[in-house]
Amino acid sequence: MYKYLTANTVTEMICLLVSVIFLLKDRSAYWRLFMIYLFIVCITETGGIYLRNIRVHNYGIYAVFLLFECSMISTFFYYIYRKYHHRISMFSIWAGVFLLVYLTELFLSNFKAFPYQTATFMSVVFVIASLYFYLLILRDEKFRKLGTYPPFWITNGILFYYFGSTACNVFFDYLIQHDHSHAPNLSVRYIIFNVLNMLLYGCWSYAFICRYYQRKLSF
Amino acid sequence: MQILSKEVIFLITLTTSIFLIAPIFLIVYVSLYNKKKARHFEEKEALKKTFELELLKSQFEVQEHLMETIATNLHDNIGQLLSLTSITLSAVQTGDSVADEKINTAGQLVLRTIQELRQLSRIMSGKELTGKSLGHAIAYELDWLKKGAAYEVLFTDNTSRTVPGYADKELILFRLFQEILSNIIRHAAATRITIVIDQTAETLSLRVKDNGKGFAVQEKISAGNGMGLFNISKRAKMMNGTFNIYSVPDRGTDILVSIPYL
Repeated sequence: MYKYLTANTVTEMICLLVSVIFLLKDRSAYWRLFMIYLFIVCITETGGIYLRNIRVHNYGIYAVFLLFECSMISTFFYYIYRKYHHRISMFSIWAGVFLLVYLTELFLSNFKAFPYQTATFMSVVFVIASLYFYLLILRDEKFRKLGTYPPFWITNGILFYYFGSTACNVFFDYLIQHDHSHAPNLSVRYIIFNVLNMLLYGCWSYAFICRYYQRKLSF
Repeated sequence: MQILSKEVIFLITLTTSIFLIAPIFLIVYVSLYNKKKARHFEEKEALKKTFELELLKSQFEVQEHLMETIATNLHDNIGQLLSLTSITLSAVQTGDSVADEKINTAGQLVLRTIQELRQLSRIMSGKELTGKSLGHAIAYELDWLKKGAAYEVLFTDNTSRTVPGYADKELILFRLFQEILSNIIRHAAATRITIVIDQTAETLSLRVKDNGKGFAVQEKISAGNGMGLFNISKRAKMMNGTFNIYSVPDRGTDILVSIPYL
């Protein structure tokens, strides 16, 4: 049982719990989607640990999860860009390009490796999307209190996570080798992703709380 | 594949740290820029408000000047002409009793017209009325009202002093009272009007209550029909005062205007 309680899983479960408490009655389906996504995150993480414990490669489960991750973050960006009159065509083009890169990499590796190049490509796109959101905020004539503006904190989490993981993604091959020579819990990649996960889910949890109080105040 | 050296691991850790610090600076920059934008926004709003208030003040001054001019003309020119007419009519002696009686009646009517005209010109000339006190001006206006329509009017004046240098504020409050009263006469279909003016060490307040048909305030404002209310509210704000209205359909309306009076 304790094997499943890692820094990662605990952080993710806390975030899931926060999302259920604060988003369950949210009017927006986009925000409620976070609960489902975080549930999938927890299932994936637990599944990954289980497969590792029985000494089976767990890249498959993470490869499938990549699809959910991309869908969730892209949908969120679509939701926040929509306020700035962006069209769905951009979302569809991005979804098409992502699927093309993802399937190509999987075919090239004969479905026997994690599509880390797709993950790197996705990270770069999400970093650009986050920066573009900041640009929209700066250009927006309407003033918002950013300290308690939920989309701002979701984007902050995304930027921390995807920008921070760039080095790990670039040196993925090397780090995998390093992982094999160390205990799983002591590898650099594992520690970095723990820190990034804490930042991501910390920001998200705060955003969910802000969203809840925003909704309460709007009544 | 070569096993990683400590230097490469250190390099990756360092790069990741830098990649984490960079977003922090970016987020701080966006937040600071946003605060600057907020200050700019507040300044713009304050300027807009000042401009609107100045515009309203000018409109009020022009309106007041116009009413003063009309009141002076009514009193001095038309009043004088009617006085001359009255004197002329009283000097006419035809010897015919029927004709004399009719001329006499005409003279009486002219005298009444002069009296009405003087009252009207005094009401129009707000400065003269509020010069004595706001309570006096309101009582004068209510006397005028009682002549024209059958209202049960209850007026309570709880003021005890006039603050020198605040005559303009009293005049604006008096004009607000006139507008509220005019609205009651035109729309409320009320039978009883209660007016109370109160004074504390810091505020002067006017409360006008009627038992008319009332209305849903929010609906009126949403429908864009509340121009009169909007103007009264703006004028109260012009004096840094407050304007509150409570109205229930078929139950009447209660308006409270309060202005600082230090």
